[in-house]
Amino acid sequence: MTVTRQDGADAPERNTGFDSGLSEALVKTSRYFRNGEVSADLRSLHQIGGRDADSFYRDRWSHDKVVRSTHGVNCTGSCSWKVYVKDGIITWEAQQTDYPSTGADRPEYEPRGCPRGAAFSWYTYSPTRVRYPYVRGSLLQMYREARQRLGDPVLAWADIVDDPEKARRYKSQRGKGGLIRASWDEATEMIAAAHVHTIKKYGPDRIAGFSPIPAMSMVSHAAGARFMSLIGAPMLSFYDWYADLPVASPQVFGDQTDVPESGDWWDASYLILWGSNVPVTRTPDAHWMTEARYRGQKVVVMSPDYSDATKFADDWLAPHPGTDGALAMAMGHVVLREFFVDRQVPRFTEYVKRYSDLPFLLTLTPRGDGYVPGKFLTAADLGDVAEGAEFKTVLVDSATGEPHVPNGSLGFRFGESGKGRWNLDLGEVDPLLSLYEGAAETVTVDLARFDTPRGEGAVMRRGVPVRRIGKHLVTTVYDLLLAQFGVGRAGLPGEWPTGLDDASQPYTPAWQEQFTGVPAAAAARIGREFAQNADESGGRSMIIMGAGTNHWFHSDTIYRAFLTLTTLTGCQGVNGGGWAHYVGQEKCRPVTGWMTLASALDWARPPRQMIQTAYWYLHTDQWRYDQTTLDGFASPLGEGRFDGRTPADVLAQSARMGWMPSYPTFNRNPLDLADEAAAAGKQPAEHVLDGLRDGSLRFAAEDPDAPENFPRVLTIWRANLLGSSAKGNEYFLKHLLGADNAVRADEAPPQARPKDLVWWNEAPTGKLDLLLALDFRMTSTTIYSDITLPAATWYEKHDLNTTDMHPYVHSFNPAIAPPWETRTDFDAFGTIARQFSRLAATHLGVRKDLMALPLLHDTPDELANPRGVVRDWKAGECDPVPGKTMPKFVVQERDYGAIAQKWSALGPLVEDLGLQVKGVTTKPDKEVEYLRHKNGVMRDGVAAGRPALVRDVHWCETILALSGTTNGRLATQGFRFAEERTGTQMADLAAEHEGKLITFSDTQARPTPVITSPEWSGSEHGGRRYSPFTINVERLKPWHTLTGRMHFFLDHDWMTEAGENLPVFRPPLDMHTLFGEPHVGDTGELGITVRYLTPHNKWSIHSEYQDNLFMLSLSRGGQTIWMSTQDAAKVGVRDNDWIEAVNRNGVVVARAIVSSRMPEGTVYMHHAQDRLIDVPLTETSGKRGGIHNSLTRLFLKPTHLIGGYAQLSFAFNYLGPTGNQRDEVTVIRRRNQEVTY
Amino acid sequence: MNAVDILLWVVVPYVSLAIFVVGHYWRYKYDKFGWTTRSSQLYERRLLRWGSPLFHFGILFVLVGHVMGLGIPKSWTEAVGLSEGAYHALAIGVGAIAGIGTLVGLAILIYRRRTVGPVFSATTRNDKLMYLVLTLTILFGMSNTVLGAVGHEGVDYRDTVSPWFRSIFYFNPQPELMTEAGLGFQLHALSALVLFAIWPFTRLVHVFSAPLGYFTRPYIVYRSRDRQLGNRPTPRGWDRVGGGRR
Repeated sequence: MTVTRQDGADAPERNTGFDSGLSEALVKTSRYFRNGEVSADLRSLHQIGGRDADSFYRDRWSHDKVVRSTHGVNCTGSCSWKVYVKDGIITWEAQQTDYPSTGADRPEYEPRGCPRGAAFSWYTYSPTRVRYPYVRGSLLQMYREARQRLGDPVLAWADIVDDPEKARRYKSQRGKGGLIRASWDEATEMIAAAHVHTIKKYGPDRIAGFSPIPAMSMVSHAAGARFMSLIGAPMLSFYDWYADLPVASPQVFGDQTDVPESGDWWDASYLILWGSNVPVTRTPDAHWMTEARYRGQKVVVMSPDYSDATKFADDWLAPHPGTDGALAMAMGHVVLREFFVDRQVPRFTEYVKRYSDLPFLLTLTPRGDGYVPGKFLTAADLGDVAEGAEFKTVLVDSATGEPHVPNGSLGFRFGESGKGRWNLDLGEVDPLLSLYEGAAETVTVDLARFDTPRGEGAVMRRGVPVRRIGKHLVTTVYDLLLAQFGVGRAGLPGEWPTGLDDASQPYTPAWQEQFTGVPAAAAARIGREFAQNADESGGRSMIIMGAGTNHWFHSDTIYRAFLTLTTLTGCQGVNGGGWAHYVGQEKCRPVTGWMTLASALDWARPPRQMIQTAYWYLHTDQWRYDQTTLDGFASPLGEGRFDGRTPADVLAQSARMGWMPSYPTFNRNPLDLADEAAAAGKQPAEHVLDGLRDGSLRFAAEDPDAPENFPRVLTIWRANLLGSSAKGNEYFLKHLLGADNAVRADEAPPQARPKDLVWWNEAPTGKLDLLLALDFRMTSTTIYSDITLPAATWYEKHDLNTTDMHPYVHSFNPAIAPPWETRTDFDAFGTIARQFSRLAATHLGVRKDLMALPLLHDTPDELANPRGVVRDWKAGECDPVPGKTMPKFVVQERDYGAIAQKWSALGPLVEDLGLQVKGVTTKPDKEVEYLRHKNGVMRDGVAAGRPALVRDVHWCETILALSGTTNGRLATQGFRFAEERTGTQMADLAAEHEGKLITFSDTQARPTPVITSPEWSGSEHGGRRYSPFTINVERLKPWHTLTGRMHFFLDHDWMTEAGENLPVFRPPLDMHTLFGEPHVGDTGELGITVRYLTPHNKWSIHSEYQDNLFMLSLSRGGQTIWMSTQDAAKVGVRDNDWIEAVNRNGVVVARAIVSSRMPEGTVYMHHAQDRLIDVPLTETSGKRGGIHNSLTRLFLKPTHLIGGYAQLSFAFNYLGPTGNQRDEVTVIRRRNQEVTY
Repeated sequence: MNAVDILLWVVVPYVSLAIFVVGHYWRYKYDKFGWTTRSSQLYERRLLRWGSPLFHFGILFVLVGHVMGLGIPKSWTEAVGLSEGAYHALAIGVGAIAGIGTLVGLAILIYRRRTVGPVFSATTRNDKLMYLVLTLTILFGMSNTVLGAVGHEGVDYRDTVSPWFRSIFYFNPQPELMTEAGLGFQLHALSALVLFAIWPFTRLVHVFSAPLGYFTRPYIVYRSRDRQLGNRPTPRGWDRVGGGRR
């Protein structure tokens, strides 16, 4: 601040730096009286010693040990953490830094971690910690009394739940506190008694287990799942239930989901973040995105709000919520017009000919005065009657102009004749992409469009070049795709856009502007850049797609439009390119080992597995509130297959045709059915068919409200159903639990009721007898549970962790032993299994269980319905043939007294039958021998001589030893098995690690890179970054689809019926038409109607951390809803006001965050804000406010229920109806600011 | 003289002073990190800027006055030729100014503490008790000064209160002196004794950590380690390489 003059003439006195001469004099004098040395300028004092105060700070950060662990169930971060322990107390955590390198010349994993993870240790000793087993007081009293009186736990349980008055007494108390402590012995005895009684009276399929995302803590998940599988209870799927499953992935790729690791973002040179808020939801990985920008990567963000990701964007497009499909279709239009038709890019053309279904031939079916798309032309149509001919698709050889049946389609996948031919090797053949050049004939096709005011179907007519092959009129998928996208070529008939700026015709950039609000020029430019970059970089254009685009009813259509972009431009199977779907996709890398333990495949196969969305849609009676039939959903070009029918009808049909699993299956106990079949000397299937024929047997899905078809016992662990994922939360409370609720909806009027389901005039409430939760913190789920067991946290147990975004496996380790009376999930289920076995030995003994199983993906079941033709045996369209037009019927023996013994030992089927995953079989005989030595051997009982699984570490070792990703011998063996089928070379990808076996101690030492394995589609060979489908592209291994290629066209009857054969734009559901809700933007005395979206939270991971003191302090705390300034002004809401959001599904009371970040007409309620923190009573219902899912409910999309046909076949978490929730609207108003609790 | 007098003027003073001394030792030993004024300057400055100096400089002068009045025997001042009248004029004049400054400052501080939300939120029950006792003590003392100033017929505290106070420290207590001192001085002394008793447990401990050294110290202090190996005392049998001191 002082400017020293050069001459120094008038240099002021305070040049010494002191306030005054007095200070200076004081210091000068005192220096002679002090210890230590005062510097010449009088500013500093040097002393020796006197640093005793340091020791406090040294002690503050001193510790006794550091233990490696991570955060278990709901985060994709896979960060490894150091947990610090001092005096036996967990004190804090810090990020580990010893990740495997991503390779030279690229950014490393560090820095990783986020504020949420760093706050986790708060939970260990927090007030929300569950420390003891708790039982609902009224239930425990009755149980103790009955146990005393009857002298038997099972009889005591039956005495309570079979007495309507007693049952009502405790069920009506759910959610109202009244939990009291019990001992582990007593609580687990009750649990065991409930299971035994339910199996005895109703059957094991009336029990269910729910625990999601095994990848994040495999042993904890498997411990309970193995128990469920052994007793015959279905595990509920989660990927589809969370609406995280992109149904487009099975549709297009025939794969559940496979995505690049986050380190591969660095390889992309053009990156679109589409509905994905990477800095918030992928915090530890976001740095790669920011780093890649320094490498010249362009980042484009598609987000309706000014999200955290947006500030990294070079371009920001803000499509209206749910209209992303329109934008993607318009970009696809530009790509097809400018890179395929106006000029050809060799790379793109070569790519789509080899790796997509575009060159394949489709039949056209006459309809009216035009045609509609039919089915893929197959070898059978050419007169071939050999094995698999109906599944061998046909293209035209451009050299000869003749039809050609290339290798690689589904027809080559099973059976002897296909050996060595299931590959993408085209040989000398150059497929003809289009029939346009020199086409002798063109016809007009009618195509469905849904760009209408209420989203109902309409028709557009466009021309395609055709040929006649035999009696079939055919065109290529490519020609039809051009017609669909409105990319015209001279001479073709029909209505075509005049150019990119023609807004009247789908799917031009100008057309999309009216739906998305994105300027046509911007949409065209981004589409052009995306393709241009892919051309110049060799396919390094990537789309990171997130929940913002994936949680809609029609998200599969949105995603198919996205995948059109990445496939046309040759980006799939390329490092740095393609789709990157990160929505709850937690890859369990050692999938084979985990699946073996979790599904108890070592003792009995297959397990019962259920699609959870359908489960709750039926059992929480949400189907009773559907107000309309599916007529409005279908394409006007369909055959009326959905007319007059409801989603519940379609679901029942899917179940009885064996497409999707359905549990409870029948209205009878499956154990009794097996006994009866045996007694009558009949085959089980025969017995079932007889019963169905004479009416003595019915599918439970056709009468879900009959008491014998209720789910009776539900166990939830590692999950928070009622505070988080329960779409239609209030319906759960009402019908499943019989608790207080705020359901305001009307039941369906008679004309809108299901035709195939029994309608009970009085809807049942309180269906469930026992809700059991295991958790380390109090959540809505534990509050509503009848029994809550105290669980160990992630810092208190051994376990394994992997994700999709990180190609390594690492471990959980206990920093302290589980405190108070908590136990690990592993110990808890071990205890339950032992209690169960003790009671079951006398009450159940050895029983036979008749199971109905759906037709499975990656098995010959895929061949059950040639051409995707729907044949319903109930309608008399075909015979009921188990395993073909019906579920498969299998009988398994269950030794209920030996469940605990089986649970804690590795069974013999591992080496007897081998392990199968995705059609690849491995034979881990040496591994079983190794595990005998590693884990020890069981001495007696049914498992005598088998490897022990009596400690959690044994489970970890077993998972690692049985999976290709962690055991090079099995990876190589699996590839050799696959090579026999493909005839291409793959085993070399794993051969570099053939002798490597990752042990648990390896994962304790540091995160350990995994091995390339046939369990997945990408390669880590030679330290390469993981990108999906690189094996398909580079080693010509087919995708697991009908053509063996990526599919643009889906020819199943129901896809035709839905008008979704090809990528198409379908707008969000219209809640006014479906349910009579007001229109978005309507403002009245009840408030303003807005779109209600529930994106991920910045201060929590699902409901976790939302109750954490640190996150409560960083965020506003309590439930909040984000509103735009415009909407808030319309109804007089100011920031932080209390508001109420009301629709037919329920009521939410929250504080408003009024922010210009938000677009007008849309509100965000960050999802999974549980109701345990600061939730007052509502004005609307007088009851406590709900959670974010109190305003949502389930919508079943019929096409998600397709099964038994090629890639559209069921596998657990691979295919099933999504629990989508984004299409909802709500009315928001400012409420009385005086709130009461 | 009765038991009450002995209780009030012998037992209470010794108990109070014992608590004062032992309490400070205890607090320093067990609550070093709690030894603080818990400054509220972050929450409010405008009122504090006036209230705090007024109060603190006022109370310092009051302290000096008490040292003179209680600590210096009457005979000493008379020996140096300061007459009774002059002494009182001086004491009352300076005392009144200091006292008024103290009171005004205190009033501002209490007003601030009650009306400024964040400051009030940071006020503990301990603080409230301390404020009450402190204010009472000052008010009693001030009233004595004022009554003395208006020529109210009273006792000369230098013949009663002061010798009694000093007698406490000679361990030869003379409670009878206080029985003659008058109600005003008795109340003042009693409330002061209560104040001393709670002193070590309140924020008043900051009196003993006023940073006087800052007046004479360079503002940067470097402390090198003790002459030892590492951060802890050199263990037996360990020596620096080379054997000697550094």
